[in-house]
Amino acid sequence: MAILEIKSVSKFFGGLAANSDVSFVVEEGTIMGLIGPNGAGKTTLFNCITGYYPPSKGEVIFNGRRMNGLQPDKVCMLGMVRTWQKVRPLAKLSVIDNVMVGALARTSSLKHARELAMEQLKVVRLEHRVDFLAGGLPIGERKKLEVARALATQPKLLLLDEVMGGLNPAESEEIIQLILDIKHHGLTQMVIEHDMKAIMRISDRIVVLTSGEKLTEGTPQEVVSNQDVIDAYLGESHA
Amino acid sequence: MYKTLIKASLGLIFLAALLVIPRYVESPYALHMMILLFLSVSQGQSWNILGGYAGQYSVGHAAYFGVGAYTTMMLMYSRQVVPWVGVWVGVAIVIVVALVIGSICFRLRGPYFVLASIAVAEIMRLSAINLTTLTNGAEGILATEIPAFKIGERVITDFLTKVPFYYIGLFLALFTIAITYWVQHSKLGYYFQAIREDQDAAHSLGIHITVYKNIGLVISAVLTSLAGAFYGIYVGFVDPPTVLGLDVSVQIMLICIIGGMGTIWGPVLGSLLLVPLSEALRSNMITEGLVKIGLVSADSRIGLFLKENLSHAHVLLYGILVVLVILFMPEGLMGFIKKMAPRRNREAV
Repeated sequence: MAILEIKSVSKFFGGLAANSDVSFVVEEGTIMGLIGPNGAGKTTLFNCITGYYPPSKGEVIFNGRRMNGLQPDKVCMLGMVRTWQKVRPLAKLSVIDNVMVGALARTSSLKHARELAMEQLKVVRLEHRVDFLAGGLPIGERKKLEVARALATQPKLLLLDEVMGGLNPAESEEIIQLILDIKHHGLTQMVIEHDMKAIMRISDRIVVLTSGEKLTEGTPQEVVSNQDVIDAYLGESHA
Repeated sequence: MYKTLIKASLGLIFLAALLVIPRYVESPYALHMMILLFLSVSQGQSWNILGGYAGQYSVGHAAYFGVGAYTTMMLMYSRQVVPWVGVWVGVAIVIVVALVIGSICFRLRGPYFVLASIAVAEIMRLSAINLTTLTNGAEGILATEIPAFKIGERVITDFLTKVPFYYIGLFLALFTIAITYWVQHSKLGYYFQAIREDQDAAHSLGIHITVYKNIGLVISAVLTSLAGAFYGIYVGFVDPPTVLGLDVSVQIMLICIIGGMGTIWGPVLGSLLLVPLSEALRSNMITEGLVKIGLVSADSRIGLFLKENLSHAHVLLYGILVVLVILFMPEGLMGFIKKMAPRRNREAV
């Protein structure tokens, strides 16, 4: 069953088409990879999906509901939450308080929110940082915190924007395991990533964007053997 | 466990001491100082909720202070409405004013919000000067005769001494502290702080930014208007510069910035520093002190200069104080004290 349908979404900034006529469908319980060179419009697409920008044209349908024009908070309450390429920790709050802010989307009781937040911190393995200030965490842990906070809002669809960016191989591996764990629990995910090896491993399907347009879509194998993708993005070495 | 018990009993002892002070202290000046302190705490605490927790630096809180003060005084002066009724009319008006201001100003972020908040307070001040039929204009409203407060036939107080004001002020200060405590320990406080730390991140986590900013503003404005009403009744006089001037807004902020924003005890510490300082300056205590310890002689040119000018210099000294705080304690006195405490939870190593 399709949980998210992107129907001919375009986003113009003045004369510039950051996304033009992008369409695809994300099936429930799967991981959809979103790749493309810098400036291809991946983050813009995330912004259009999660309500930060209204799409200039086209429709975003989530769980059968048209999302165009809804604000990000409403989008979150309906079950779609994103993380940020440039992490946005609530720096002066502790790690647990950060995740509690997410959990409070579903409860008004601080006690209950704390329990929910602790669960998510265990999922991302940050239990040992509970009382640390979020602003003092190293980048790898900030990325995990970002995921935990998003998970705490109990989404149906999680959108991860370059959650492995800037991490060392060991940290990336942890995140890959985390993403697979989350999938194992039945949560649908959409992942922007630059690391081809990682995205090949985790994605069920991949959409490739270049200069705002969808170049192709398919299983990881189909995508890496597609000549257009090799020309536009991967270069010879991946062929 | 022991710690909380000790803390709680210390708090109770302190509170009991505050309650019995008027029984043993007869000096009106000492009571006056305490009342100013309570007023300052409640002003700082009100601003703290919007500025300290939600991170919306309003430099226009004089608007709410002034509306609270003016409404209560105008009703008492021209309609003979007793202040303890008039104050709630003020609160109602302030809620409306705050929502109007919020719906306009919260479209703006950061420094633009600050500028808009200043503009709004200035509009209020100019209105008070010019709507002479309503506000008596620049002359202000003088209303010192407060009717006795009765329950049934029994007179509770006739407001002839400072003692009833002491208790009202104490109650107001405790009330604002309690509200701040409640905010910090509720969903509201978490959402305010999330907005302060990162508005976009907060938005993505299901927080309706405008709604929560307006809630913060309304709580803050209502508490500020209560402080304003209290000020008006206590002093018995309001005019545009004393309750609606820009320096009122700045003073309200400073209490909180110097004490420590976004903490429960910051505004209390800020008041403990600022109120005595401004009183000492106003009454020329500092010059007298310098003369007494022999640093300057009263008849020398420096002595005369200080005597002449220091009492007008409290704004200058506030400025210096703010610079010092920003340079050396960017998180206010409260942050400074916390930093001195064992460095738990500071940074991940």
